[in-house]
Amino acid sequence: MHATSLRICAFLISTLTLMLACQELAATDIRRGLGPEPDSLHIHQARGLAAVNLLRDLREGLLTFDQHGELAPGQAASWEELDDGRRYRFYLRSDARWSNGDPVTAADFVRAWHRAFTPETAAATAGLLKDVRNASEILKGNGEPAALGIVAVEPGVLDVLLTEPAPWLLEILAHPVSYPLHSKGQDDPLHAPVNGSFLLANWTPRASIRLERNPQFHGLDSVRVETVEYFPIEEPAAELSRYRAGELEITETIPAGRYDWLRENLAADLRVAPYLGTFWLGLNLKHQVLGYSTRLRQALSLAINRDILTATVLGAGELPAWSVVPPGIRGYSPSLMPQSEFSQAQREAEAVRLFELSGAGRPESLLLELRYNTSGVHRRVAVAVAAMWKQVLGVNTQLVNEEWKVFVNNRRLGVITEVFRGGWIADYADPSSFLDLFTGGNALNNTFYSNRDFDLLLKSTGRVSAGARMKLLQQAEAQLMQDMPVIPLYYYVSRHLVNPRITGFSDNVRDIHLSRYLGLISESR
Amino acid sequence: MRQEGLLRHAAVRLLGLIPTLLVLITIAFFLIRMAPGGPFDGEKVLPPEIRANLDANYHLDEPLLQQYFRYLGQIITGDFGPSFQYKDWTVNELIAQGFPVSATVGGLAMLLAFVLGTLIGTVAALRQNTAVDYSVMGVAMLGISIPNFVVAPLLILGLAVYAGWLPAGGWDWSWQRMILPVITLALPAIAYIARLTRGSMIEVLHSNYIRTARAKGLPESLVIRRHAFKPAILPVISYMGPATAALITGSVVVERIYSIPGLGSYFVQGALNRDYTLVMGVVVFYGVVIVVLNFIVDLLYAWLNPRIRYSEAP
Repeated sequence: MHATSLRICAFLISTLTLMLACQELAATDIRRGLGPEPDSLHIHQARGLAAVNLLRDLREGLLTFDQHGELAPGQAASWEELDDGRRYRFYLRSDARWSNGDPVTAADFVRAWHRAFTPETAAATAGLLKDVRNASEILKGNGEPAALGIVAVEPGVLDVLLTEPAPWLLEILAHPVSYPLHSKGQDDPLHAPVNGSFLLANWTPRASIRLERNPQFHGLDSVRVETVEYFPIEEPAAELSRYRAGELEITETIPAGRYDWLRENLAADLRVAPYLGTFWLGLNLKHQVLGYSTRLRQALSLAINRDILTATVLGAGELPAWSVVPPGIRGYSPSLMPQSEFSQAQREAEAVRLFELSGAGRPESLLLELRYNTSGVHRRVAVAVAAMWKQVLGVNTQLVNEEWKVFVNNRRLGVITEVFRGGWIADYADPSSFLDLFTGGNALNNTFYSNRDFDLLLKSTGRVSAGARMKLLQQAEAQLMQDMPVIPLYYYVSRHLVNPRITGFSDNVRDIHLSRYLGLISESR
Repeated sequence: MRQEGLLRHAAVRLLGLIPTLLVLITIAFFLIRMAPGGPFDGEKVLPPEIRANLDANYHLDEPLLQQYFRYLGQIITGDFGPSFQYKDWTVNELIAQGFPVSATVGGLAMLLAFVLGTLIGTVAALRQNTAVDYSVMGVAMLGISIPNFVVAPLLILGLAVYAGWLPAGGWDWSWQRMILPVITLALPAIAYIARLTRGSMIEVLHSNYIRTARAKGLPESLVIRRHAFKPAILPVISYMGPATAALITGSVVVERIYSIPGLGSYFVQGALNRDYTLVMGVVVFYGVVIVVLNFIVDLLYAWLNPRIRYSEAP
């Protein structure tokens, strides 16, 4: 028995030694937190933000983003708008190359788009290209992908045809769903040639994703770092620990409730900036009380003290919201609720007045249900809102929390929901990304709001100049804020910790930070 | 005779695995399908046409029973299918990548717990009701009562953030990154094993054959090692079967706090994402591991305890 246990011990020790000897640390220039594990690095399967951000480093579309998160030429050097905005002609860069040296051609884009619209691909994000000619019909199964409005005119010239003018299309052309695909390895995203600033060097699921500079990239000279390593870290507290231990240069977020501490202790590293997202409470208009009176909905909205909500309950730099569309979209200033100018005392008095006029009866007799998905932040907001309604209006609120998938299903069905947690983060920096949600019959319209004037205003934006279009969108939003199917509470912010030695990290409303612009000042000794 | 009985016992137990696993698979399959929502539900509702394409791709458009039998046929060939959430990987690949990580961390933790736990327990038993006994067992009690989601952040803060001796998390197979998670996982197990060992060691030391051994004039160390240790760790062995299974298949809490890519998080993430294939994969895998480890414990029992023999009565 002794000999056996000795042998086992010897085996264990030698295994351990071997494991220790095998590890070898390669130097990485920049280490970034990624949030959750990316769902897929295939351009047609990627849905989550983690995957999309990675794909932006690995690949490039006709357009891309500059250091400040603004649209910039990518694989296309230039483009022109033709046929009153119903056709775009793109001229590809002469030095656009795949990582294996092949030139990127118009056919590579056509191939990828046809693939995205093939039913077997089941591309979840193909809907983003809905404005491309015949896209909707092909998605419904009426027509072949070949009928899609994309044409390779010459190897270096590409035409994209639209059903109606869609000024936001250019931004979709910077989204992975519209990227080109090399003819080789279309189903093998791990080994397929890429056309972005970095190559995929190693991917260990949920541990690390290592990128190396792509020597074939057209902007190679401006890429300052050799390697970037992304770490999927689901737990923000764990990400903060690793940042503080010097294992990350850039974090994806900060843990809830640590904002004050970070502002005190890591002020130079903390980067909080406006972000294209709004948090709101949705009101199910099919509900007999909530759908009955606009005044009641306005009263509920005005009774909420957003300053307390953002400063005390959330406290991570969020901004009080008085509109559905957040500020920060070029050429657009959101239509705020008129009472946003009031003091909080005036708002509360107005809330009481409107409630009395609403015909909802005695406040004590009203019991509202506020539903949210299980999460510490959502719970705190819900508790605070319920307390404010009770205090200002005397309305009782029952809080219901549900697991995520249960919650989204209930919200979509709209049978048992009354007031529910909602919100939206823009797919593209355009007011329509938010306002379209409230058109009658939209699958994402969880409030079941339906107003013909509003729908018509949005519809009429297709045929006018850019300036006039923004005016119409503002009118539509003003109508929305009047009817109040949702109560905007706060605008989202992006939150990162960025090592002060990092250069080229500019805060922007899209929160897009391509690794190709980043640099690292070496530590002065 | 003994050998034969043992073999037969082993064979019967192994055959018994099949219905156990079948029941496990069936219950798990229908339970996860009963949960509201599906793998493709999210903040953004998919257009119905795209949703239909996705459902068809994953055979979710078929009747549930048909899917069940399709799944059974699949796993007989050892194929757990593609993951719904992590689309670039199959469930087999994810388990193949996650299990070695969990097994290493959990295995090392169990080894540490066994060595330290039995040592502490034996020392406490030999010094029964002395200051040594009380202090050692007091510390062990702390180990059981402080949950690991408290211990882990404290360890990280002290040893990684402030002292800078060890990494705060992550995984690259380096020993530095293993230390904290292994300690975190081992602590409660050390405490539990120490208590088990102490109790049963005290009982064994009072038994007749130990008195006989001492009466023969054997040195105390030999009495402990040769005569008392084996029967005294029997309860530890029966605890270690399921405990090892739980540890080597990963701990959700420890994996999240240290960002370790083990199997544990897949149970929770898979269920939350309604990643049917991933949940089924890890449940079946966990089932096999636990059944096999229980089987090994049975065999160890027979080897350690002369009173348990799997021969039929003459």
